[in-house]
Amino acid sequence: MERNEVSYLESRKLVKRWNGPLPALANSLFIAIVFYATWWIFQDPRGIMRMYTPYVGYMVCRWLLILFIWVAYIFDFWPFKKAWLDRTHPLIKGSVLLAFSVAAMFLLIKVFFIDILGNYGIAYFNPERLTSMGITEFYAIEYAAEAIMMFAAIASWLSPSWVVACENAPWQDLPQPARGITIVTITFFLSMIVYFLTMHSHMAILFYPWQKFTAICPPYWEEFANTVSGNFHIAWIMCCTVVVWLYETIWERYPFNLIKTNWLRRTASFFGIIIIAVALAFFLYFCEELAWGPAIRGTRRLMAPDWRWLHVGEMAIFWLCPSLFLSFYCNNWPTKFSRPVNVILRTFLTAIAAVLVYIVYYKTSHLFLGTQKGFSHPQQFPMIPMIWLINLFLVNVWFMDGWPGWKAVPKTAEELDKVEAEIVASDVKWTPKFAYGLLAGIAGGVAVYFAIINFIPWFSKVYTIIK
Amino acid sequence: MTETKQTGLSRRDFVKGAATGVCAGTFATMGLYSYSPFAKNRLAKTTRAMKDFGVLKSVKITNISETSWFNNANLIGDIHAAGGLLVNQYDLNWPPFGNGKGTAQGSYESGIASIKDLIPQDLDKAWEIQEKLSLHPENAGGYACLIEVEELNGKTHKYLLDTGWSYKWTDAAFKREGIDKMLQNHEIEALFISHEHWDHFWGFPVTMKYDPTIPVFIQDGFYPEGLQYIKDSGHTGPLTSYKKAVNPFIPGMAVLKFDVPIINRVFGEISLAFNVKDKGLVLVSGCCHQGILKFADLAHTELNYENDRFYGIYGGLHISPFEDWDPKYDDLVISLGKWGFEKIGCNHCTGHLTAKKFIEAGYPVIRGTARFRSSSPDYLGNGDKISFGV
Repeated sequence: MERNEVSYLESRKLVKRWNGPLPALANSLFIAIVFYATWWIFQDPRGIMRMYTPYVGYMVCRWLLILFIWVAYIFDFWPFKKAWLDRTHPLIKGSVLLAFSVAAMFLLIKVFFIDILGNYGIAYFNPERLTSMGITEFYAIEYAAEAIMMFAAIASWLSPSWVVACENAPWQDLPQPARGITIVTITFFLSMIVYFLTMHSHMAILFYPWQKFTAICPPYWEEFANTVSGNFHIAWIMCCTVVVWLYETIWERYPFNLIKTNWLRRTASFFGIIIIAVALAFFLYFCEELAWGPAIRGTRRLMAPDWRWLHVGEMAIFWLCPSLFLSFYCNNWPTKFSRPVNVILRTFLTAIAAVLVYIVYYKTSHLFLGTQKGFSHPQQFPMIPMIWLINLFLVNVWFMDGWPGWKAVPKTAEELDKVEAEIVASDVKWTPKFAYGLLAGIAGGVAVYFAIINFIPWFSKVYTIIK
Repeated sequence: MTETKQTGLSRRDFVKGAATGVCAGTFATMGLYSYSPFAKNRLAKTTRAMKDFGVLKSVKITNISETSWFNNANLIGDIHAAGGLLVNQYDLNWPPFGNGKGTAQGSYESGIASIKDLIPQDLDKAWEIQEKLSLHPENAGGYACLIEVEELNGKTHKYLLDTGWSYKWTDAAFKREGIDKMLQNHEIEALFISHEHWDHFWGFPVTMKYDPTIPVFIQDGFYPEGLQYIKDSGHTGPLTSYKKAVNPFIPGMAVLKFDVPIINRVFGEISLAFNVKDKGLVLVSGCCHQGILKFADLAHTELNYENDRFYGIYGGLHISPFEDWDPKYDDLVISLGKWGFEKIGCNHCTGHLTAKKFIEAGYPVIRGTARFRSSSPDYLGNGDKISFGV
């Protein structure tokens, strides 16, 4: 196989510049410095631009995430040539690609959403229109930013899903930019449908009286979710965003990559991600109920169902950070066992790490990020710093080839052949012993689940880690 | 040899299957069980403590001021310009902590320095100085109410809940309702500060001007600046900081504390609960950042009250203080009716839109007279009164 037959990310191999843990430590330090500097400049309420209002900052970091995915995964760095990507210093490359993404994000937000959609389609995308109709300017900006952000939240699940789960089908053989434009268009179109089904009603009841002629009010999920808030959808959509990347990184596309038939594998992957995400969302919501008691509709914050659903998405994001770190900077450790064992070990390790990150975040973030103290204030949005951090991971690994700890070298023909062969996993076969193991494992999984849900209420009663 | 290899392979296959199965089993159970009725049944049922805190005859409340500010756009514009709802309130450069340096360049120390020598004895001069140094001083109003409680034996008590913001506005409101004289005569037994926010607390020197010895009650979420302000305002009476959630005060009256994060770096709020003979429980709040239903839920869980019934509400319910909206507020509008309150005396940060929605939902909202710059008759305005059990 030739290098130009696979994407740039698949065609390169990241090689450590130094032995041992030094590269991971160097990159962690580098990212920590950049994180804090950029957080202070752009987001921190005590800093320079103070975009953490919170929705403006949230919108920006979500759309940046999407743009990075589009540039690297969907457009395969088009219009930049592979030769340029190969020979350019990571710092210059990273700066150029980042500037390109920011410019594209600005065009999308300002021109498409605010100027076009907000002036000729739906008024709530344009803050000026809302202000002219009597909404306080601050809230007009927040409402518009929330709507624009939700589009990105949906797209940040669907866009990578089309690459990771659907393997770019049926346009995988199209050259760039035709493939990128096609997939962005289709995923944007799907995002729009999902947006109308999940968030339009939420936006419609922001205004008095409820906009019943233009949206379903009260929303159809009211009884099921115990709230009229669209945060119910944010919960499972955020879990979808997270599960896509778990599937791509620490799960190595297992187990759906055991399916040999292309259309079946792609369909199973796409819908499997959604099913796993919904299961995760229900589980995380249940964990909150076990720890804090049943939600009371109409209350605020910790006890409110709308916040509990939002927090499901937040908890999921806490899982994504250590998962990406493990995959990017620890060579997806451990790798010495069979694929299923590696997958379960990584899942366990990253879940534990997520809990630790969660605790550290809530115990300390108000001290150094300028966020609100406590769990559930409407302006406490852990998704923003977490996604900001994830964005930096992506810039570092996708745009800068893991500089300073790693460098990119072209894969050999043999390694490129392996990329092609990896689409269907060949190291796990269906045998009677596998089937027995599977059955025993399922029983074990059920036991693990019940052990967790028995542990949480006991633990939360005995210990208060975060006040 | 082949057999051994075969056994090893089989064992490896089993382990692969088992690892796959554990993940599949865990996620499948998560999906099938976690949001099912079986899961709901597992949740611990609330055990009510039913603490007896006495009964009283009646509660009368005079709204001294509910207009904490007069222009939403200016207030929220200042917050926005400073960086949003998370910016420390003492940095906003609002009076009385303005330092003349503009948006978000304020601090407690630099602000108080300009008026420290004048409070509480010369508040007119202090405010005059601050009008020159701070942002939108004309927008400052304040929240405060007088609570008159009658015990079953006929003994009466007067308390202040909160002490406004603008020295000028609060002093005028105190004089309008005769609070200045009551304080001077030590008729008012205590000042409760619901929380540290500008509009409930920064008018503190006005109360001190008339009675610096008054016992003051706060909660342990106050920041060092707030505690220093109490000292700098010349308070010489006892200061109590609540740490516990439920604190009986006099027979039939309890102070409930909530650890709740609040905008502009404020933490915690106290609210008051009264058990009115033959009527039920009355809940009185400053801003109720914890949410009125959370307030009611804690009272329901912890306290024993007449007829096991919620009777009344007074105060800010903090739903749409800036006339903003969120679908979660509709959750409250939809749910409040189920709690059975018979008298709803809301105002201040409840928001006009919320009051309008309450009225549309058929709730017993007590209307006001829209006097003294209160802008809507949909709820109790400045100078309006409400009584429970009278």
